[in-house]
Amino acid sequence: MQNTFIKQLQTAVESVIRGKSEAVAMAIVTLLGRGNLLIEDVPGVGKTTLAYALAKATDCAFQRIQFTSDMMPSDIIGVSIFNPESREFEFKPGPVFANIVLADEINRTSPRTQSALLEAMNERKITMDRRTLVLPDPFMVIATQNPVEYHGTFPLPESQLDRFMMQIRLGYPDPEHEKRAVAGLSGFALIEKLAPVVTKADILKMQEAADAVAVEDTVMDYLMKIIIATRSDDRIRLGSSTRGAQFLLRAAKAHAYYTGRDFIVPDDIKRLAPSVLGHRLILKTRRGIFDAEDVVRDMVESIPVPV
Amino acid sequence: MPILYKSITAVLALTGCISLLITGEMNLLVCTGGLSIFGGYYRFFRDRPQASKRVAAILAQAALFVFIADASVITGDVFLAVAHMTITFQGIKSFDLKEPWDHLQVYFMSLLQLIIASELTRALTFGVIFVIFMVLLVTAMVLSHFLKEGTLGRVRIRRPVTAIVMLTVLCTAIFFMALPRTPQRFIGKSHIRGIKTVGFSDKVDFGSFGDIKLDQTVVMRIEMDQEVSSPHYWRGIAMDSFDGVSWRNTAREKSRLLKTGDEFVIAPYDRTRVVEQRIYLEPIDSDVIFGLAKMTAVNVDTFSLLVDDASGITMPGKLSRRIKYTVRSDMAGILTGRSEKRYLQVPRGVENIIGLAKSVTGGSSSDLQRAFAIEAYLKRNFAYSLATVPPPVGMSVLENFLFRTKTGFCEHYASSMVIMLRGLGIPSRVVNGFYGGERNEYGNYLIVRQSDAHAWVEALIGNEWKRFDPTPAVAAQKPPALSHFLDSLRLQWTRYVVGFSSEDQKEIVRTLASPFTLKGLPKLRFSSFRTVLFWSLALGFVSLLLYAVMKKLRFRRYSFVTRTYLEFRALLRKKGLKVTDAMTAGDLLRVSRKGGFGIEAEEFLNLYESHRFGSREMTDHVRQRYKALLKKLGTGKRAEDI
Repeated sequence: MQNTFIKQLQTAVESVIRGKSEAVAMAIVTLLGRGNLLIEDVPGVGKTTLAYALAKATDCAFQRIQFTSDMMPSDIIGVSIFNPESREFEFKPGPVFANIVLADEINRTSPRTQSALLEAMNERKITMDRRTLVLPDPFMVIATQNPVEYHGTFPLPESQLDRFMMQIRLGYPDPEHEKRAVAGLSGFALIEKLAPVVTKADILKMQEAADAVAVEDTVMDYLMKIIIATRSDDRIRLGSSTRGAQFLLRAAKAHAYYTGRDFIVPDDIKRLAPSVLGHRLILKTRRGIFDAEDVVRDMVESIPVPV
Repeated sequence: MPILYKSITAVLALTGCISLLITGEMNLLVCTGGLSIFGGYYRFFRDRPQASKRVAAILAQAALFVFIADASVITGDVFLAVAHMTITFQGIKSFDLKEPWDHLQVYFMSLLQLIIASELTRALTFGVIFVIFMVLLVTAMVLSHFLKEGTLGRVRIRRPVTAIVMLTVLCTAIFFMALPRTPQRFIGKSHIRGIKTVGFSDKVDFGSFGDIKLDQTVVMRIEMDQEVSSPHYWRGIAMDSFDGVSWRNTAREKSRLLKTGDEFVIAPYDRTRVVEQRIYLEPIDSDVIFGLAKMTAVNVDTFSLLVDDASGITMPGKLSRRIKYTVRSDMAGILTGRSEKRYLQVPRGVENIIGLAKSVTGGSSSDLQRAFAIEAYLKRNFAYSLATVPPPVGMSVLENFLFRTKTGFCEHYASSMVIMLRGLGIPSRVVNGFYGGERNEYGNYLIVRQSDAHAWVEALIGNEWKRFDPTPAVAAQKPPALSHFLDSLRLQWTRYVVGFSSEDQKEIVRTLASPFTLKGLPKLRFSSFRTVLFWSLALGFVSLLLYAVMKKLRFRRYSFVTRTYLEFRALLRKKGLKVTDAMTAGDLLRVSRKGGFGIEAEEFLNLYESHRFGSREMTDHVRQRYKALLKKLGTGKRAEDI
């Protein structure tokens, strides 16, 4: 049975962003799997709302960084300022020092700034002036990018994309929910009213429990079969990396924990493979990431599942 | 890694090495590296860390150098050097067993060792080892398959493994019986060394029999189609010329025998009057065909046979392998001959002996009586002993025997008698062969050992070569019954495994087909419709059996949990829903909802997932529920009715 914390978290976030239970579930799974989430979608469908609601419902420190083309790495990490009274440099931490960081429109800024954030994301620490500062725990970056506006953007290179556990899209809400959203309170007003349902400590505990989920050997083989298949599929130019495989396993564990199991079933892997692997692949046709998702979805339909 | 799998690997490695060691051909010094096998497997069982790949590679290279030295200098035989190297490699490999692949390497190495050993030995022990090896190898292969699948320990495998092993043994037996027999060897020249005997070559040094008489090695096993009153003299070849030191053949005019049908005919014979002897001859490095006199026909698998003018039958070349042949002898037949100079030849300085002969035969009137008198004289007045002392300087061996020690063995007696007869002008010769043999009651055959090697005398009386045996009888030692029992097993082994011939195959086919053929039909005719029918039926039956067993095994591969799940999947298919192998339990749930299955399907699939992937044991209660759910899904009843 599903853990009550998770249930409450899901309910709380869904009270703000309605009709998107699948996307919310994926965001929670990414959080449990200690991963980072990339949301690619058109503006105004609730990307920011989702990230903010998740932070509010978990009493996590939340920071939003709106990326623009003239941003510097120090705008994210922080900066050392000379304090004339103590005659020393003092470090002023940047917005990255939070539990949940929303990196809005990450593809609008220069690669240099992008990589500053992505390195922080990967290493969970920041080195400045020969000092190492550890980022808070739990830590999760939710990055968004806008697929329509390619003008004046710096698309993330594959090596950076590879660092995100999952990529999802929200899409427009269905008419019924949309009507209610338009007529009712705005998302942010709802978020302000949101009371945290789980603590940071609970999240850390759940992350550990998700780590301890058992993986049966044949299921592991199934996972590896999928990974290897991405490398030999004739529609794909670049298959999944080993990191991709690690992420898929972690995501599957988190998903198993999310649904209230302490073991993985092939279904976890099969369901998550498109969103975990899609953005890592390069198709031969050089089309969008979501085409790659479809390719993965199609590919897993031909891989026999262990019985 | 389960202890069973570990043990099998260890035993297989040892089996391979032992199979080579029992051949007795191994140079133990070169194989000492193989001793590390014990240390290796000890560490392996103790789960100590395995050697790194680099260390293993360095050791393997060292072994290769040893191999080169071995093949070129130490033994000088590449074949044996390979055998030595496999033993060393098994030792090295025992420290390097990380992956299933390493285990496979051990198996292949053992297989190679057995193949090599099969070239070096024909012992029954090897047969036993081979069967053990085969059973273990199949078990290991099946286990490693389950290990790879990750189902080892969760699936009951005792029955499938037993079934597969049985099948393998059965198939091997069938192959063994059906494979075409060729006289060629698979690996060039055979490495089996014969028993070194003397006395069956063109030249026999004096005293060499003494060593043989102490040797209990079996030379022949003989089955006879009828009881023949003893004594049995298994005649080999005759020698005519003596120079005081050795006997030799001076004029061996050999003529080829004609082959009629399957056998070489020496003399025309009446089939009802001959004694048939099936002789299994161990490799004795000789070309002589032994048999009771008088041999009339020989059935042996060679291209030609030669007969010399003293009725000695020889093959065209020395064979160092076991052979089986059949001799038909006419016991009442006589060896005819005429006097020749060489049958009267005597060495120098035997005047005393001739004098002795004259005094012994003083009262006889005919050659026959004279011969009997000499025979009786030697039999009565002399003692039999294998312990002979060399003669003093200036005295010949025979004089020493006749006038000084008065003890000796068959060689002395036969030689003395021939010289005495020749001194009296009676043509005579020494015949080498075997005498007697002990009856084995288990297999009803005779065992003839090296110690039964014997020399006796043939003298030409009139125009007939008569046999005389001046050697006093010695009480034979009786070996214990157990050794007879083992020996009978060995004979079966030789007869039905090592010496399994195309003849035997025909016999089997004949026996199998007998219900369909008329009794007493001499040859199986494959053209006959009935046989074709019989064989196709038999083949069909066997394949059906195989198919059934395989199907059962395939199903057995899965545990109860999976089997039941697969039944559910089949049920969905029957309902006309599209179900593929790429569907997870979750997919099936979505599909089953389309098919109108409700809550039971969900419960059923949850049970499946948690017991299949969640490593929980299914309790009997849950088992019943699981089964019941499936049944209900099949009949379409409601869940609450259970």
